[in-house]
Amino acid sequence: MTAAPGSVGRRLRRLRDDFDQSFAEPARSHDEEHLELLTIRAGGRPYAIKLSQSSGVHPDRPVTPLPGPLPALLGLAGFAGAVVPVYDLAALLGHPIADVPRWLVLAAGSPRLGLAFHELDGHVRAAVSDIIREAGENGGDDGGHGRGGTLRGLVDLPGGSRPIIDIPAMRTLVHGLAGHAQATDEEEAP
Amino acid sequence: MSGRDPLRYFRIEARELVDQISAGVLDLDQQPEADVVARLLRFAHTLKGAARVVKQQEIAERAHEFEEVLVPHRDESTPSLPAEQMRELLRLNDEISGFVTALSAPAPAAAKPAPAEPEAAVRTVPLNEPTTQAEVDQATTDADLARGADAASDRPERAATADLDDLLDAIGEASSRIAPLRDGGRTLGRLHRNVETLGERMRVGRTTISDASARTSVRRLAGELGALGRRLTDAVDQVERELDEVRGRAEGLRLVPAGSIFTALRRAVRDAADAEGKVVRFQASGADVRMGPNLLNLISSAFLHVVRNAVVHGIEPEAQRRAAGKPAEGTVTVQVERRGRYAEFRCVDDGRGFDLAALRRTAEERGLLAPGADPGAQGLIDLVLHGGISTAPGVTDVAGRGIGMDVARDVALQLGGEVTIANRPGQGATVRLVVPLTLLSMSGLIVEAGGTTATMPLDAVRRCVRLSAGEMATATATARLAHEREVLPFLPLAQALHVPPGDDEARSGVAVVLTADRDTVAIGVDRLAGTSTLVARPLPDLAPAAAVIGSVSIDLDGNPRLVLDAHGLVAEARQESATARGDNSATVKPRMPILVVDDSLTTRMLERSILESAGYEVDLAASGEEGLERARSRQYGLYLSDIDMPGIDGFTFVARTKADPQLAHVPSILVSSRASADDKRRGAEAGAAAYVIKGEFNQEELLAHIRRLIL
Repeated sequence: MTAAPGSVGRRLRRLRDDFDQSFAEPARSHDEEHLELLTIRAGGRPYAIKLSQSSGVHPDRPVTPLPGPLPALLGLAGFAGAVVPVYDLAALLGHPIADVPRWLVLAAGSPRLGLAFHELDGHVRAAVSDIIREAGENGGDDGGHGRGGTLRGLVDLPGGSRPIIDIPAMRTLVHGLAGHAQATDEEEAP
Repeated sequence: MSGRDPLRYFRIEARELVDQISAGVLDLDQQPEADVVARLLRFAHTLKGAARVVKQQEIAERAHEFEEVLVPHRDESTPSLPAEQMRELLRLNDEISGFVTALSAPAPAAAKPAPAEPEAAVRTVPLNEPTTQAEVDQATTDADLARGADAASDRPERAATADLDDLLDAIGEASSRIAPLRDGGRTLGRLHRNVETLGERMRVGRTTISDASARTSVRRLAGELGALGRRLTDAVDQVERELDEVRGRAEGLRLVPAGSIFTALRRAVRDAADAEGKVVRFQASGADVRMGPNLLNLISSAFLHVVRNAVVHGIEPEAQRRAAGKPAEGTVTVQVERRGRYAEFRCVDDGRGFDLAALRRTAEERGLLAPGADPGAQGLIDLVLHGGISTAPGVTDVAGRGIGMDVARDVALQLGGEVTIANRPGQGATVRLVVPLTLLSMSGLIVEAGGTTATMPLDAVRRCVRLSAGEMATATATARLAHEREVLPFLPLAQALHVPPGDDEARSGVAVVLTADRDTVAIGVDRLAGTSTLVARPLPDLAPAAAVIGSVSIDLDGNPRLVLDAHGLVAEARQESATARGDNSATVKPRMPILVVDDSLTTRMLERSILESAGYEVDLAASGEEGLERARSRQYGLYLSDIDMPGIDGFTFVARTKADPQLAHVPSILVSSRASADDKRRGAEAGAAAYVIKGEFNQEELLAHIRRLIL
């Protein structure tokens, strides 16, 4: 089962280590010039998430369905004894699909909040210069496809540009849906 | 302090006796009975003797004085103690209590970590009534707290022994599950050695893979590994289950029963009534609801004011009560109830209610209300909660200026709950304090429905009834279930949880009969999966849920499991059932009566009792002719007829009803000892909807037919 001592195996291992490492230190912004991004698909559409705005990514977490008034609320997941509500990103973005999302990103901040998406394309380090309209101004409508300003900017990547999901804005949207006042001391992630 | 503390056991015994004396004095005050006097004398005497042995002269003297007060009343059939003697008893009680508390308070051993005397911490204390004793213990602690005494230092020694025993049992059980794991470890070691030997033999080339014995060895190893794997999985599963039980019980230990604050409240009512020259009875319910001690302490402090207020402001002087046609003795009732993820504390009095006119005057005087403005009755009441008003004409010692309500409001605010007042002018008032529970230990019934697993609070479950596939389908279609003399609203859990229905094939299941809010409903589930002790926690803030969900617990795998809310389920089932009935005009009339026609008195009575206990109204007829007469005089939902009767037989009876346009729509069931196929055919030809053979008489089968036909 051990990898052949070839260059491909080594490279693969290094890539995997790098990938794992990136999760071990999610909040660190390496420098001002670059941005750590997760490239994902939610409801079949490509997006990017700033790693610094998340506190963990998990595949295949069992989610206990919770009947209630919000279709976007998929249910509850357990994380080390804590119960975390999980919302469907695609539904929050306004284009729900029937498929059950496989991945889950924990939003930074409190109370704990999980956002589920369907596919994880990868992890990229993008140059700030590749971000278009990063200063997307509060409530800016990002070309009309953001819901309540939950998309902020686009990132140019090989394979096309992706809208960047602003996790704090997504959290604000969820707080609004759940009728829960948001704490004012919410730390804004960079 | 060394292990040889001469007071060690006296402290425990004295505290128990003091607790019993405290409760007994209040009993005597409320309900003077000879056996209470005898009991108190016994306790006081025991305490006196024990105190003398350990040279606690002050306690012995007070106990003696206590006896002296009671001795003259020993032989009275209804002891009547003058008020000053009653007060003397209470005073002595307080003094003894104070001395006993002082005995343990300064003891350095209590402050030190326990290892010096580990057996003292979990020692099983000899108790008269172990289950309630824990409550009494706690009650005194809290009563002391309420009086400003610091008596909390000795909690560990007095931890509820029954709960500790349960926990120890659970731990023992979990430990015993470790043994198979250890065995598994040994087996694994052996297999490992075998594999190494085999590997070694292959390495030196003495064995090749084509070697038959090597193949056999590998196959055997694989088999043994597989078996070991299964055994280990089973063992781990069991350990996990046991540990879950342990965790649940341990968490539960942190919680205290609500009844622990009752003695303090009762005493507060007694003292306030005494100061006011009123006679007030204290009642309480819901002692078993368990919650965090901090929460309970806060609520206790607020409710001390609330019950005092009820006595001072609510209960009228005796003369006024008599004039109003009320019993001379007033009543203050404290009720504690768990409502899903909330605890509700109610203080109900049967006094005069809030004096709205006085409230209005005070509010206007204080500028809380513009003169002439009419905030309505409830608006005025709300001012009490929000403005610091009191309705008492003067500021008395016992209840300050509306301080009670202010404290209640503050406590509610602090705990994220709310206070409401329901006023019944002339009849009394109810102060209701509802607070959310953060952690709650409960016993749950684990149920499965539509592929989902959920937990029902076991204390709301009255019973579980197995339903056949047909019964399940009928209950689901009609949203009703006949159960023990009543027709209950029926709600399939899968529907309440919005689980998409699976295959449409009807399957058997279980109806869980739940009671909440004095209402009973049946909830349909696929199967029961056992009970467990669990700790329910509130739903996260960002997870708004349907009312049928009360809270959430964590299962063995660390995943959330929904805990259903009995009140929510009852409300939902009521509503769904009402909707279902409204949609179907044929079933609008509830419980159409059934007519039983049989010449045998025994059969008539038997059938009647079966049907009535299933919730139907039943009329009887002793012959076919009488049956026809009755059938024409009233609308029935069903006829249940014998065949062999004097006069017209059952076939004829059924055929005649079918021939009568007024009666033809009513279904009939024939019940007979005739079992031949020919008779059954004749029954069907006459128009009977079902044929039940008496020899094989089966109550459930009969009821199933009836439900199918008339529900």
